[in-house]
Amino acid sequence: MIDEDLAEYMLDAASKHTPVLAEVRLESTRCTQLALKAGQVDTIASSQDAGMNVKIFFASGVGFSSSNVVSKAEGLRLVRQAVSQAKSARRKSPCTLSAEKAVRTSWEVRQKKSLADVTTEEKLDYLRSLDSAALKTGVKVQGRYYDLKDWETTRFFGNSEGSRIKSFIPRMKVESYNLVSAKGETEQSMREWGGSGGWELKDEWNLLEVLPDEMRMLKKQIEHGKRVKPGKYDLVCGSEVTGIAAHESCGHPMEGDRIQGREMSQAGRSFISEDMIGQRLGSKYATVIDDPGIPGSYGYYAYDEEGVKARPRYLYKEGLINEFLHNRETGSKMGLVSNGSSRAESYLREPIVRMGNTFVAPGDFEEDELFGTVKDGVLMNSFTEWNIDDKRYNQKYVSREAYFIKDGELAGPARKCTIEITTPAFWSAIDAVTKKVRFDAAECGKGDPGQGMSVFTGGPMLRLRGVSLR
Amino acid sequence: MNELKEISQHVVEVARSAGADDVVAEAIVTEVKQVRFSNSQVDAVNSWSEEHLALLVAIGKKVISSDIRTLTDLDPHARALVSLAKKVPPSKTYEGVAPGRFKYRRNPVDGMIVKLRDPSRFVHEAIAGAEGFGANNVGGTFYAIHERVGLASSGGAVGADESTAADLSVRAFSQPEASGHAVCCTPTLTGMEAKKTGERAGEFASHARDPVMGEQGKFDLIVDPLFLGSFIQSTSSMLSAMRVEISNSMYAKKIGKRVASDEVTFIDDPTIRSTTRRAFDHEGVPTRRNVLIKDGILKTYLHNTGTAKRFKTKTTANAGPLIPSAYGSAAQPMAFHPVVVPGDWNKDELIADTKRGLYINNTWYTRYQNYSTGEFSTIPRDAILRVENGEIVGAVKNIRISDNMMNFWKSIDALSRKAQDIYWWEEAAPPSTLPTVRAKQMTITRSA
Repeated sequence: MIDEDLAEYMLDAASKHTPVLAEVRLESTRCTQLALKAGQVDTIASSQDAGMNVKIFFASGVGFSSSNVVSKAEGLRLVRQAVSQAKSARRKSPCTLSAEKAVRTSWEVRQKKSLADVTTEEKLDYLRSLDSAALKTGVKVQGRYYDLKDWETTRFFGNSEGSRIKSFIPRMKVESYNLVSAKGETEQSMREWGGSGGWELKDEWNLLEVLPDEMRMLKKQIEHGKRVKPGKYDLVCGSEVTGIAAHESCGHPMEGDRIQGREMSQAGRSFISEDMIGQRLGSKYATVIDDPGIPGSYGYYAYDEEGVKARPRYLYKEGLINEFLHNRETGSKMGLVSNGSSRAESYLREPIVRMGNTFVAPGDFEEDELFGTVKDGVLMNSFTEWNIDDKRYNQKYVSREAYFIKDGELAGPARKCTIEITTPAFWSAIDAVTKKVRFDAAECGKGDPGQGMSVFTGGPMLRLRGVSLR
Repeated sequence: MNELKEISQHVVEVARSAGADDVVAEAIVTEVKQVRFSNSQVDAVNSWSEEHLALLVAIGKKVISSDIRTLTDLDPHARALVSLAKKVPPSKTYEGVAPGRFKYRRNPVDGMIVKLRDPSRFVHEAIAGAEGFGANNVGGTFYAIHERVGLASSGGAVGADESTAADLSVRAFSQPEASGHAVCCTPTLTGMEAKKTGERAGEFASHARDPVMGEQGKFDLIVDPLFLGSFIQSTSSMLSAMRVEISNSMYAKKIGKRVASDEVTFIDDPTIRSTTRRAFDHEGVPTRRNVLIKDGILKTYLHNTGTAKRFKTKTTANAGPLIPSAYGSAAQPMAFHPVVVPGDWNKDELIADTKRGLYINNTWYTRYQNYSTGEFSTIPRDAILRVENGEIVGAVKNIRISDNMMNFWKSIDALSRKAQDIYWWEEAAPPSTLPTVRAKQMTITRSA
């Protein structure tokens, strides 16, 4: 599997160039992908990947070099190339890194039923059962596409400061695309379920009930949904909507590299600046946490790509801007240490600041208590179209499932309810938060080339007072 | 290159000997150098090297593909995949691989890109160019890419291809909320206009100074090629027959019908000189110029061998990679190099002819409520310039375009005579050749 001696050889070779820091990563991944299109097997693919990278830090620049050829000769070539690249950067301001203690450890995510032991036929049967369950609802589902991907990654990380970390993480995800039609109209659903663990994850997702419910819900939205008359309403966000808002309008603008401008020409900058720590952004009910350590989560990791132990980060705390996501480079620029936010999609790509599992902290309301004082409002359970600008200030969510609330009671379906709101306005309007937190899996995009990253988004239900809907 | 062709041929023979009926093998070697920069200095100089073999095997209708992440000792991998194929259930929709021995064009390769050792100089030129127009903060990416491919199939295809690309993306800020973005995409290093690209970004940033809150309502939109590149991504994807098959496209059941204004002709042309010029698709069929939309009428979807048979037509030689992606099958039809045929306006005439409009440099986050109907919104970024009575009168910010994509294409009434090669990050992709266009009366919304 992983040749740790090769990593030592590469670190020795790198150290001869006396860098500020040298890092070496070796990685091996087994992956299976299956897809079912309109009930028929569409794709069966498998792969076994292995590769390595070297990252070199000099005061004058950073060089990163990666390859999927694993050998001593290639390792030496990568070291020389990364050194040469780092020297070519000629930075005006020196590259600095936070001081972190060296760690020697190993960690893994255990599986009750190993993904590698589940046959292709068994996995396809599972997808077929989902397709069949959707069809049995009697709802006209004219678009049906389901895919399943599982992968197990073994990594070794070492740096010139003495850190040596071995890890093993299995992940699985299922994605669904459905188009439901009724009365000559259609509604679309694109969803994802994911986690770290083994084949047992599918039991937690309970998709044999969840997917048929989704088909029936979309049909009801078409047949009985009414548009919201534009105006001010109280809005109750289901956990899916809470989660996307936490990720997009808290997690992203609180990334240290974005705040410092490193993503300026791709994912953008942030409306938040370094000097805004402690400033109020939302109501006292707005606490957003990013915690990579949630067992079984899609965004789980115990140590980040720089060997820093993961821990919960309180990004917004009781409405105040509290803590940014940092790696060693961005933390150092603010005179701080890393809080373990460095992640990479694979050995081929440079690790950058990423979220793990971002969610709104629970409150003390029961779910049915949220509606009691809402005279005229909307419950938005889930979303379809969404987007946010590159400074993470203006966001929009269009409902997939929504209901009117009249005099404290849920009324009929509200179709394509739309909220278009600034980030401070969203987080300031919250006046109640429920106890129960739910999570959704998602792929977060960032970096150049884009690195898809496994994350959870989530939270409880939120009540926002007097926001504009249409 | 011949070595990669021979590797692929050998793997096809091994897989056939092991019992496969159909085989496609594609050996790929990629070398990439990248410079990332922000705050007007280099952040990191990166490089990556990949060599792998994408392999599809079929026994009858039992089909499986694999990304074999090495090019050495491939025989056991090929035999193992054939053994696995014997155990998988059949795919009733599988239609075989493209038959035929083909002749391919030979694509020129730029040796200067292949040998480029220090790409940082282009970055420094771009930064200086932007700063010359008043930018005070410049970021972006420079790529030098060299890819070699060898392909063989049991249908008879045997070929080799090679390409080079130099891509520069520059975003310049003159104020925290005033920016401009420009790109340069070229298959040769002599075509890399780093300073000019920086200057264009800087000029946009200069025009974008002191933006005010944008208004809601209907506006005529003049959109830069970079902006249009983002729309091309989802539009070209929806022209894939695979998307049509699962009702995930606004173009389903629209062949022969109007899907754009009569000003619009939309082509996929991987035969022209560009960063994505390619001799054959991922099944080995020689690529060709395909007119997808002619004078606003939908002529064809993008096809591979399988979708073409199911749609009772011929492949358009648009088979995508043999390894699937999210919501994408193996060999899913895809556009390689979209082209919107230019018109006869120049940029100044477009502005002078617009009474109430917006000139928009760039956009991102184009997301759909429903791909089958086309309702979407997108968030303009970088310079958004207000046009009144034929003149640019200032910059705006914080707006969103919330409309329908089919309506956008049907509302285009003018296209510039000059087109530009465009590629940016994963938004304006795949690389394409696009003019500036004007779409009439599009809906602008903003945060309440």
